Order: sequence, then C-alpha cells, then structure tokens
Amino acid sequence: MEKEPKAREGIKGWINPAKYGKFGIERFAWILMRITGLGLLAYFIAHIYETSNILNGKEVWDEMLAMTQTTEGHIFLALVIGMCVFHTGNGIRLMLVQMGYGIGKAQRPDYPYKPQSLNMKGKACIYATIGIAALAMWYGITVMFG
Amino acid sequence: MMLMKESVIMKIHYGTALGAVFLTVIHILMRMTQDFHQSLEYENVLANYEMIGYAILLELLLILISVHGFNGLRVILLEIKQGHTYEKVVSYGCIVAMAILIAYGTRTILMASMGMV
Repeated sequence: MEKEPKAREGIKGWINPAKYGKFGIERFAWILMRITGLGLLAYFIAHIYETSNILNGKEVWDEMLAMTQTTEGHIFLALVIGMCVFHTGNGIRLMLVQMGYGIGKAQRPDYPYKPQSLNMKGKACIYATIGIAALAMWYGITVMFG
Repeated sequence: MMLMKESVIMKIHYGTALGAVFLTVIHILMRMTQDFHQSLEYENVLANYEMIGYAILLELLLILISVHGFNGLRVILLEIKQGHTYEKVVSYGCIVAMAILIAYGTRTILMASMGMV
C-alpha cells in the first residue's frame, strides 16, 4: 500500500501567501483559528498563574492587578476578547460543517471544479464571525476604559 | 501506541468547547454583577472563591479549557510535523502539561476557597 504523503511544508505552509490567494477567506479562517487557539492557550496559562497570586495576599494581588489596569493591559485584554469570540464562532461553524450542515449537496465535478463546501454560506459565516469579534472587542474596550 | 481513537478525541474536543463556552459566559457575567474594576478587588475575588458553587464552576472551567486547549495544541503540532516518535512525544507532552496546569489551578481554587491565604 502506498504511504500517505506527509504535510512536508510544516510551518512554512501556514505562512505561504500563495495559499491565501488560492483558498481565500477559508484559508484565512483556518490560520486565524490556529493563531487564536495558541493565543488563548497562552493567555489561559498566564491567567491561571496570575490568579494564583490571590494566595500571596492583598499586596501581591494589587501589584499584579495594577499591571493589567493600564492602557496596554486593556488593549491586550480587548485582543483576548476578540480572539475568544472569533475562536468560538468559527469553532461552532466548523462543528456544524462536520455534521454536514451548510456544505451543499454532492454534484458531478465539472470544470472549474469548485468545491461545494466552499460556498457563500461558509464565507458569510466567517465574515459575520470576524464582525462579531470586532464588536465584542469594541464593547470590551468601552467597559474597561469606561 | 494510540491512546484513543481520533474520532473519540475530536468528540471530546467539541464537547469540552461547548461546555467551556457556557461556563465562560457565566464566569464573565460574574464580573458584570458589579463595576468591572471593583469586581477584581482582592476582597471581592476572594469572596467569589469562597462561594462553593462558583468554586466548582471554576474547577470545571479549568478542566474543560485545559483538555480543549492542550488537545488543540497537540492537533496543531501534529499538523506541522509527523513521525512515530514525534507524535508520541507531542501526545504525552500535552497530557503531562495539561495535568500540571490542572493541578496548579486546583491548588489555587482549593486553598482560596478554604481561606488558606
């Protein structure tokens, strides 16, 4: 049996701009899902460490909190909100796609061989998710700076 | 060695995602019960930990996000590179990192909820 080809491009495949032109917004959503996932995991680990300072008393807690209560800290948290909303929205879209919703019906493959799954419904969902993430970031900024 | 079928792992991945979203919404709404900055004050955060129901919610959230996050990291790392030894190291490494994070977070929740500060 022939061995399956490996994903030989690795991380270079992620950042290859030619792939974006070929696959459009779906490719952008694919990489954004991974970047936001890694970002959220890094934030989560830092959040667990940050909140563990509650055990070291009020002074240490206040010092740690002061680091996040700055303009830079608020902008960082707004980015975390955006990453969280995009990752959630796009994740729900992917779950629905895996269950077979919104991918169209199977058709005879005719030229120019456009995949049924990369349709306008999927694109609209991705744009809507990016829009909702931007709105959530804006709302977060108004709460934190308000 | 395969620990679990990938199809089962992905079901766990989706289940933990939905659970984490639901609990995160409650976690954020807790900050909205009062002024955002006031809700982060030492006494208020400590009072949150001392509520048993909320401490259980935090523990569940810790487990769900850790499982989802480290499985996501494992999937990303396996997409980038493949190989028998590499896949084993990545899978076991993610399980160990997840266990350490859950243990560290649980320690904070237990000690804070029991007033050991």
